[in-house]
Amino acid sequence: MADKHDSKISRRDFIAGSSIAFTTLAATGAALSPLLDARETPGIDEILQKHYRRLTTEDKKTIFARLEAEIDKKYSVKANISDPPPMDGVEFAYVLNIGRCIGCRKCVYACMEENNTSRDPQIQYIRVLKIKQGSIDLDSSSHDYPVSEAADPNYFYMPVQCQQCRNPPCIKVCPVKATWKEKDGVIVIDYNWCIGCRYCEAACPYHARRFNFAKPAIAPEEINPDMGYLSNRVRPMGVMEKCTFCLHRTRVGKYPACHDVCPTGARKFGNLRDPQSEVRKILEKERVYVLKQEVGTLPKFYYVFAK
Amino acid sequence: MDETPVRWWLIFLVPLFVLLSFYFLYRTFPIAPAAADPAPLKAEWYTLTTARGEDLANKSMVGNCFICHAYWVPIPRSMENSKPRFAHANITLNHGKNDRCYNCHMISDRNKYVADDGTGIMPQLPELLCSRCHGLIYDDWLNGTHGKWTGMWNPVKKSDRRRYTCTQCHDPHNPAFKYSTLAPPPVWPDKYIRNTGEESNSDPYSNFLIGKEPKESF
Repeated sequence: MADKHDSKISRRDFIAGSSIAFTTLAATGAALSPLLDARETPGIDEILQKHYRRLTTEDKKTIFARLEAEIDKKYSVKANISDPPPMDGVEFAYVLNIGRCIGCRKCVYACMEENNTSRDPQIQYIRVLKIKQGSIDLDSSSHDYPVSEAADPNYFYMPVQCQQCRNPPCIKVCPVKATWKEKDGVIVIDYNWCIGCRYCEAACPYHARRFNFAKPAIAPEEINPDMGYLSNRVRPMGVMEKCTFCLHRTRVGKYPACHDVCPTGARKFGNLRDPQSEVRKILEKERVYVLKQEVGTLPKFYYVFAK
Repeated sequence: MDETPVRWWLIFLVPLFVLLSFYFLYRTFPIAPAAADPAPLKAEWYTLTTARGEDLANKSMVGNCFICHAYWVPIPRSMENSKPRFAHANITLNHGKNDRCYNCHMISDRNKYVADDGTGIMPQLPELLCSRCHGLIYDDWLNGTHGKWTGMWNPVKKSDRRRYTCTQCHDPHNPAFKYSTLAPPPVWPDKYIRNTGEESNSDPYSNFLIGKEPKESF
């Protein structure tokens, strides 16, 4: 009787032990199961990729080819990733005529369409603030007014997007230097270098930066295949993004998407260093307002009150 | 006494562990519904139309005015005539004080607009007509402050940049904008949406601990 117990496991012990072992295994699996949901697993090339400003032309060519292949695999869209360099003697500036904006939000959706931002969760670079006439009181403004409250003559509408500051706080706080100011004054982000710490989002006084909390969901037929590496290529999950004045358009001479779509012509864009450009003429003539001037960011996005 | 101890608690423990294992297995491989593509953006939210783009109901007549006016429509005797009639009945004239047809249209040549000195203005250049009254806005339009431009900010050829003229955005007979295309507000997570006049940390406990916190504003 005694040696029988010593040499063999009893049925009860077997059942109890095996059920505990099975449960332990299942619990370990449940604890590790979030790894199965990892929607973005970087490849070895992506991990070893250098910072954008250290890339040679050949490096860029291979990286762009890899990214295009990834986009083709994920969305079956034949994208063309370009990287136009900054133009000499060009500093971009934006002028927005508050007196003309009706708050129709067409710029918001043109921007989404152009820049391949996530549709769900929705990411929009432009917020149109509805402000009561009399003073610019941001505290009592609202950016989620319904359609029925647009074009109200008792209010004015102030679209706020990235102000492309000359003294940008978002660059100072980036711990990995994944965001920087280009020669033409546009603040850009290397999405492959960004670690997603969101310091820059906290530092921006204009709330202009957006974070990809989830993998950007876009219907493949809505993807804009004309992509720029630093601007509107499809972003991975967990990186910051923001308005770049549509780099891939403006650096080849076109206007940004929000500019072209404005039905009232309230938006004006041009080269600040060209004395003949419309932005220079407007800034010299009209009453100019700089949003949050007191924080000393020196934006290149100006608001004017004009007819 | 050689008696095997009765481990009666196993009768509860073993089924409990079996149930737990099923629970954990379910946690590991949940039956998740397939994510549907998000709703597409409507094309009208980002088309390049101007404020007048869709509003064609009140549009002026197009074509050669001589087809009627040269031969069998007489020149009206009274200059008081301000009510568009007959073929022009669909025009709503709502241009403030400017309520006479022949303030703008030339009596002797209906294809043209009339300038201050009585000469004609070609219909391709309506801005010259509008500048008779709206001179300041005409200056702004020349500068680029007023009016919509599309195309390229750095035009090489003239065709690179399109400058919209007065009548492409304003209906000359009823010049106030009619805002037809309005896009919906953002659908953001609740924590981004700040309701007007509502404080962010206003429950009694946080009031006690950190005092009255100023409302977060961007």
